Amino acid sequence: MRIAPALAVLVVVLASAQCLHAAPLEAIRDILRRHLLDPPDEAALAGLSEDDLQGRLRDIDPYARIISGGEYRTPLGAADSWIGIGAGLAMRAGGPVLHVYRGGGAERAGVPDRVRLLEIDGASVRGQDAETIASGLRGEAGSTVRLRVALPGGGEKSFTVRREAFSPLDVELVPPGNQRVVRVRDFAGGLTRPAMRATLDFLARTTTSDPSAPLIIDLRDAPGGDLYEAFDLAGLFLPAGTLLGTIRGRDGYALEIRAPGGDKYSMPLTLLIGPETASSAEIFAGILRQHERARLVGQTTYGKCSSQTDARLSDGSVLRYTNREVLFPRGDTCTGSGLTPDLAVGDDELDMLQRLVERARALSP
Amino acid sequence: MSARTVLLSLVAAGLLWGCGGQHDPRSGGFFGGVAGLSGGSYDNRVKEREARLEELRATQAQLDAEKGQLETQKSAAQARVGQDQAKVDAMQADIAALEKKTKALSSQQGADQKRVAELQKRLDGLKTGMRKQESSLDALEGSGLGDAEVDLKRQQLEKQRDALRKEYDLLMKMQMELAQ
Repeated sequence: MRIAPALAVLVVVLASAQCLHAAPLEAIRDILRRHLLDPPDEAALAGLSEDDLQGRLRDIDPYARIISGGEYRTPLGAADSWIGIGAGLAMRAGGPVLHVYRGGGAERAGVPDRVRLLEIDGASVRGQDAETIASGLRGEAGSTVRLRVALPGGGEKSFTVRREAFSPLDVELVPPGNQRVVRVRDFAGGLTRPAMRATLDFLARTTTSDPSAPLIIDLRDAPGGDLYEAFDLAGLFLPAGTLLGTIRGRDGYALEIRAPGGDKYSMPLTLLIGPETASSAEIFAGILRQHERARLVGQTTYGKCSSQTDARLSDGSVLRYTNREVLFPRGDTCTGSGLTPDLAVGDDELDMLQRLVERARALSP
Repeated sequence: MSARTVLLSLVAAGLLWGCGGQHDPRSGGFFGGVAGLSGGSYDNRVKEREARLEELRATQAQLDAEKGQLETQKSAAQARVGQDQAKVDAMQADIAALEKKTKALSSQQGADQKRVAELQKRLDGLKTGMRKQESSLDALEGSGLGDAEVDLKRQQLEKQRDALRKEYDLLMKMQMELAQ
């Protein structure tokens, strides 16, 4: 089960065909009629047509969409090795922002994390949509792109970034290691939990920090991923058998999820959150907070605790639609409201990791 | 920064320091130098520079040793990546065999087709995970990640492979139950 990323657009993959051929409308209506979380209005289903199909689908379910066969990638495949500048693109009211990955071309060119993008190869990005900006950033391995960005402390600077293949870390360790900050950008099915364990083992082995000292998990750039991975990851920090949440479905379906056994970590946790923290990341954060295992620092999250699934259609395209809602242990959901932080920070501070780390340290027991 | 760059930087710093001197500047220079020949300053400076040269040699030897150590670590890391690749290859062979048996099951009369389909779906997920393992290991050699991060990435892949192995064991069990 996949919780679709809400805001970030990955710019490290090659462009794929966007065109949609005649979609099997009757099959789409049937799937939505039988499986959509909240039964859809028949008139809205009847109104589905080739003309603005994506828009009409969104009217029925804000997270529904058709993905062409060429564009579709399975959730596990989404975190594969990439070719590109090694950065994610987040569209904000103030303009597009680059999320710089460790080890990618952008980082090695010196581009600071979470900077506002102003120009690509001398052309302003003002007013452009995410896809147009992303296609300007994409290119063949070995090619370069000139980026002009607004620096966090003020001023502007240009960087020449080489596009290249790289394999991102599934859980990043933010240097220096002894400050014990790790970053999760994606909840990849079957991958993020073992990567977190490997990272915590690595920290214990390679730094002088006390393994029981507080850990900071940066979720500011985590727009979602696999729902069960969010539960599994939360389960690493909670005793076996603890109620993690309930997955609610159509017609009274309810599945309680409890923490599995296995290795556990007991260090105090602080989670960094923001408006781009969404779906699986919100579920992970919400579970840990309700069990008083973590405190949240940052800004209110996106507010999406629903989950989507993918159905392959006869023409090879895929229908993604909402079929589940996640309830926290106390029975509430984050949909619509998001998670409010225990310690709120301003917009400028949210982009300054070191400042957030200091605030998080002050909050830790 | 490579060991070579560090060495060159140190050498340059050493030379600049040598030019600067640490005695009263009035005793250096041509005239001061001539005057100092009889005063013992010249001998002092020769000794000082010999000592500095000795320090630089020691630094160079230390850097050579560290470079050797780094190269040993690098080749050990490459060997580990090679071992990891062999493990991935072996697992992929196991998964291919499991898939072959699953396909045979799906054409078998009386088999629980719903469970076979579930098995096939999970197998597809497992295959995707293994492909990621393979491509990530390939990418590690030319990776832009620093040495420590390559090590971290390798450990993440190892733990992920353990998880995939558990999934494989589970699917193997499912397949055997279905075959009975």
